Amino acid sequence: MNKTFIVAIETYLRQVKSWSFIMLVISPFILLAISLGIGYTSATSSSDQQRIAVISETPALRKQFIKANQDDVKASVTTTAAAKKSVNNNKLAGYLVLSADKAKVTGVYHSTDSITNGMRTKVNVFLAQTQHQLNLANANLSSKQMKSLAVQPAFKQTIKASHGGANFAKIASFWILVFMIYMIMITYSSVTAQEIASEKGTKVMEIIFSSTKASKYFVGKILGVFGVILTQIVVYIVGGYGFFQIAMHLDNIKQLITDNRSLVNAIIKNMLGVNLVFVFLGVIIYTIISAFSGALVAKAEDAPKAAQPAIYLSMIAFFLTMPFQSNSDALISKILSYVPFFSSYFMPMRIINDNASGMEIGLSLGILIASILLLTWYIGQIYEGLILQTDDTSFWKRLRRGLAYQK
Amino acid sequence: MLTINHLHKQFGSVTALDDVSFDVPDKQITGLIGQNGSGKSTTFHSILNFLKYDGEIRWNGQPIKEADFDSIGYLPEERSLMHKLTIEQQIVYLARLKSKPAKEIRPQIDGWLKKFAVKGKKTDKIKDLSKGNQQKVQLIVTLIHHPKLIILDEPFSGLDPVNADLLKNAILEARDQGAAIIFSSHDMANVEAVCNRLVMLRTGEVVLNGTIKEVRDQFGKSEIYVTTDWTEDQLKQLPHVVKVQNIRGNRFLLRLDDPEKGPEVFEKLTNGQYIEEFSQQPPTLDEIFRMKAGIKHE
Repeated sequence: MNKTFIVAIETYLRQVKSWSFIMLVISPFILLAISLGIGYTSATSSSDQQRIAVISETPALRKQFIKANQDDVKASVTTTAAAKKSVNNNKLAGYLVLSADKAKVTGVYHSTDSITNGMRTKVNVFLAQTQHQLNLANANLSSKQMKSLAVQPAFKQTIKASHGGANFAKIASFWILVFMIYMIMITYSSVTAQEIASEKGTKVMEIIFSSTKASKYFVGKILGVFGVILTQIVVYIVGGYGFFQIAMHLDNIKQLITDNRSLVNAIIKNMLGVNLVFVFLGVIIYTIISAFSGALVAKAEDAPKAAQPAIYLSMIAFFLTMPFQSNSDALISKILSYVPFFSSYFMPMRIINDNASGMEIGLSLGILIASILLLTWYIGQIYEGLILQTDDTSFWKRLRRGLAYQK
Repeated sequence: MLTINHLHKQFGSVTALDDVSFDVPDKQITGLIGQNGSGKSTTFHSILNFLKYDGEIRWNGQPIKEADFDSIGYLPEERSLMHKLTIEQQIVYLARLKSKPAKEIRPQIDGWLKKFAVKGKKTDKIKDLSKGNQQKVQLIVTLIHHPKLIILDEPFSGLDPVNADLLKNAILEARDQGAAIIFSSHDMANVEAVCNRLVMLRTGEVVLNGTIKEVRDQFGKSEIYVTTDWTEDQLKQLPHVVKVQNIRGNRFLLRLDDPEKGPEVFEKLTNGQYIEEFSQQPPTLDEIFRMKAGIKHE
């Protein structure tokens, strides 16, 4: 097997088998599961408390009410005694006793609290409709008269299309995207920088460099870390989809998502496609620069400091994005959308705001990919010199010597 | 065969290696000796291509290329392994980087652990091993892929005599299998015990180069070991004896101003009578090392 892939697989397995990675990946799901569990428990327990029972000696009448208001009625309670008990135990909001004779329909609500406005309206509508049908039956009307009475008033509304939803989708997509890059980048910058810094000046690197070229080793390391990032993204996508499916079984969440279907779709659309490519490539270029700064520390003990340059650079890009969120076609924003390290933030922002053409996106992607390849090649060339350097000189001196190292 | 010709390495204003030339023939063990900072590790780093250098280093007549890495076994001066891995994972990983498939290496691991008397199972983590056992694992890593060129930087340092013997045997076995071996050491006894050839560096320059016998003979047989009833003062009166050292009891080391005068000293000392020991020899490697390194003999 190619030695680059041996290094990549070793790096990948060592990372994904570590407790820190497992915790990193599963912790959001644990949090989600806890919040969903709490939501579900409170939803199921509180929904019963808000429901009522319907009791009637006329089964058809009861059935009719339940059919019209099934979400509000606990159908399993059928007797007055059971209903009273549930109300006393705070398991039901109240119970409605429906009765009807030949001329009148009557509804009596029993509870410890007054009926809610919503429920009062529903009960009134039901009683009015049932009474209306009874009245029509009692009036012995001709079919013409019946038809005439069935005519309903007309009400229409015309709503002018608003961009409010679309704008909200853009803002939401933007924030989700920049936070996604920032969080993944911060995590992997530290992981990569520490991984490489911990090898700095160690003799095991001399054994490794007596077995394979430093450039191949470096590329293998980076590929291994990419594998870990991809694994995390795939776990999040698959796990996220799984949780989405579970959540859709919860009435409240299903209602929320159904009500905001177009917004959810717009955000998902903005997240996927070329923006995801920019996120991935952005994380890659920051990972490479982290590997470089990891290789520049004075000694393995300084590993925790190693990620700082990449993190600062990302913070600058992150905070620079904010003022341009609502002004993404400004000149600076346009320029930065082509500059590697910044383009992963700025170009997706322009894409979300629909002010980047296909050619501009292609050009920015091309520059980013070329920069990644060039940077990898260049660091691969000087990597041996950087890693085997053990003298405790200043950062700039090490950087200068590292950059000057060519074989 | 490894051939080094006119190797020169400069670190800023410091000359680390100056016109270093020597050979490391196949099926032979070459000892590289010298004081700290004499250029031994720099020589090894140059062979391994870790450094830019001037001059020429050839392996079997060709410059050392990536394809040759698989034939090299290298043990660095300080011990260092990947602490989170198990013994097996570490050996397999580094062997795979030498293009040896895991399925070929795994079955050999138990045998190697036994050979070096490593205390621990192959499933133990490196960090849980004692320093000595970590060193043995590193030796296994250096040798398990049966390299043709073996470079050992201070392999005996920190080893007790029992473990040093295990290592000596492994080096001799590798030599018998045809490997060209070069190792650095400060312990001249080890060098003398296993080396066919010797190269000594002093401040980056080669000051000795040849077989052990050639090197020792360069200095002439200027020493005589005698076991006699004579006192130290009486021995000092002998012609051409410039120094007398009492080794133990009635055993002495006499140093001559002229190796040719050995028979004359023998005549005077024995006067035709029996003597328990009279052995005229060249200086030991240890003495040569001290002489060449510029350290005064005790």
